[in-house]
Amino acid sequence: MTGTINMNRRTLLKSGATFAAASTLAAPLIAQERSLKIGSYGGYFENSFKEHVYPGFTEATGIVVESVTQPNSADWLISMAQAAQAGNVPADLSLYGRDTLIKASREEGLLAPLDMSMISAAGALDPYFIFEAAPGVLGVGAMSWFSSMVINPDEIEPPESWADFWDTSVFEQSLGVVRRFNGGMMDIIAATFFDGEATFETEDGIQAIVAKAAELKPNVALWWSAESQMEQAMKNLDVVAGTYYHDVAGIMAADGFPILSMFPKEGCVQDYGSWCLSGLSDKGAEAAEFVNFSSTPEVQAIMSRMIGTAPLLPQEATDLTDEEFAAVSGTPSIRPAYSAYLDRETYIQENWDAMLAGS
Amino acid sequence: MSVSTAEGMAPDGVKETEGREPALAFKIALVILLGILCLVPFLFVLAISVGHKIEGAGWAFGFELTHYKRFLLGATWPETFQILYLQKLGYSLMFAAIGAVIAVALAFPFTYFLTRLTRRGQTVWLVLLLSSLSLSEVFIVMGWDILLSARSGLPALLDWVGFTDLMKDWGWFQWFRDIGLASPRAFKFKTSGLATVLCMSYLVWPYAVILLYPALSRLEPSLMEAARTMGARPSVVMRTVVLPSVKLPLFGSTLLLFVFLLGTYVTVTVFADPSQHTLAVSIYDSVRGSTLNAPFGAAQSVILLITAAVFLFAGQKLSNAGDRA
Repeated sequence: MTGTINMNRRTLLKSGATFAAASTLAAPLIAQERSLKIGSYGGYFENSFKEHVYPGFTEATGIVVESVTQPNSADWLISMAQAAQAGNVPADLSLYGRDTLIKASREEGLLAPLDMSMISAAGALDPYFIFEAAPGVLGVGAMSWFSSMVINPDEIEPPESWADFWDTSVFEQSLGVVRRFNGGMMDIIAATFFDGEATFETEDGIQAIVAKAAELKPNVALWWSAESQMEQAMKNLDVVAGTYYHDVAGIMAADGFPILSMFPKEGCVQDYGSWCLSGLSDKGAEAAEFVNFSSTPEVQAIMSRMIGTAPLLPQEATDLTDEEFAAVSGTPSIRPAYSAYLDRETYIQENWDAMLAGS
Repeated sequence: MSVSTAEGMAPDGVKETEGREPALAFKIALVILLGILCLVPFLFVLAISVGHKIEGAGWAFGFELTHYKRFLLGATWPETFQILYLQKLGYSLMFAAIGAVIAVALAFPFTYFLTRLTRRGQTVWLVLLLSSLSLSEVFIVMGWDILLSARSGLPALLDWVGFTDLMKDWGWFQWFRDIGLASPRAFKFKTSGLATVLCMSYLVWPYAVILLYPALSRLEPSLMEAARTMGARPSVVMRTVVLPSVKLPLFGSTLLLFVFLLGTYVTVTVFADPSQHTLAVSIYDSVRGSTLNAPFGAAQSVILLITAAVFLFAGQKLSNAGDRA
């Protein structure tokens, strides 16, 4: 009995020694393994990244990706700012919408510049998607998406222009329109009835846009704030047209729901997400390699096919077919008046909310 | 009260009354717990509400009353005056009040008959009610959302039984459209004040039953029997015996549910039109929305909190007065 115990103890000690030896051997290997924590919007979106983008990156560079779930841009910025104050951030690279990116750039030390000498692939992107501030390039476009015009093709004829939405004889109490002041409706109105982004430069211009939006109110049955509200409203016939995400509408249509996402003559609102490096991250080199990888035409095409985002390159630069490209993108593109939304945010928000609240 | 308890912890005092020591320590622990759970978050909100909003970016700690001014007069006052936020406060109060009154009004007869059931019957009902409390607001709203949707819910049912066509034939349909309960095609309950109030009442109805249950079950049956023997009709008994003896619990429950409903968020975002949005929605939009204006959100919260406190205080005064009368 004692012998057994002794033997067991010996075996244990021996295996312990082996384990210790193994870990000593492994230590330098672990130290050499490069890793990167990347944030992306949770759910389907993040899963698609884990499945279709990160493995290819690890294969190409040997850098292991740890995926971090972001709820969205704005809330994530709050979390990251709080984490930065505590001195330990949950992600090296985060995905921010342009408005959030500009906000983040205005808080000192929150973002670190990306080493553009390592991101040669970004040279092919439209310069609009490269965000540069005083410290350097703080954001490189990751992917973009469109807020488009959606209609229920069983109920109504496709309109030619956004202006048709104002026709009460067709659309009375029938539209689902995004409620946030910077959700794109103001940009659509500015592009359809006024001078586009330039209209936002004066308070009179903003007032004119808001007044035009007020005229639309009798036709709006739902001012949606969460994506799922609009999805349900379209499915349940609570609304028969409105504004929604181009790619999600495409997925709904593929599932057999009567929804058609389209580009009227004025175009649709294009927003985009950027990769941004945390100011506290020491993985600048790894992050630059990933941003370079993500900017290549191949990966842009993979994201369009697998995640449904619009590429930041012209269609010709990618191998996307016409059909694949139309599923995620279109022309013309209405670009949001980001700087006005930020510099006059209180003014615009209060006027927009007052318009919504007025009877 | 917390201060006096803390001062009472003089070292020699503790030695002298050794028997009281655990009780005192317990009290101090409670006060500290209360402080951490209630006072500290509130002080935080208060401190943030006087912070400085950096336009186009975040905010910083500071001391300014801009956000309170914005609430009362608007951001661009004195050039323009904005009643927006007072209107939102008004809708908060209105929805909460109507919701609470409907919930209590419906819960009262139910609870009254519930307390007349056998012990076993009462237990079954109470367990059912308690389990319904496990449903979150989101879940309940989702259910009502389906119930009131054009294709799957009540409008489809009204259409199917021919009520929609009947109303159109009689020319009464326009009336429903005028009050916002119909689209040109069919009945429409989303978004409407009706749906909001209904869902709010549904949310707090189980609480109303549970709050009224103790008072109604303590009601002495012999009182009613005596009144009946003396020839009073059931309605008279209800009006002159039952209601007066439970008027305080009725009032108290309504007040409590009213305060509870002041903070309803999901119901309002889903069922109310933006023209009827409440302060809770505006607070969320400020803090978590795209403007990151936590100070303004905090200022609105402080005002909502003060409003709730004023109502609770007034309610306390009223019920004290009622007690003495």
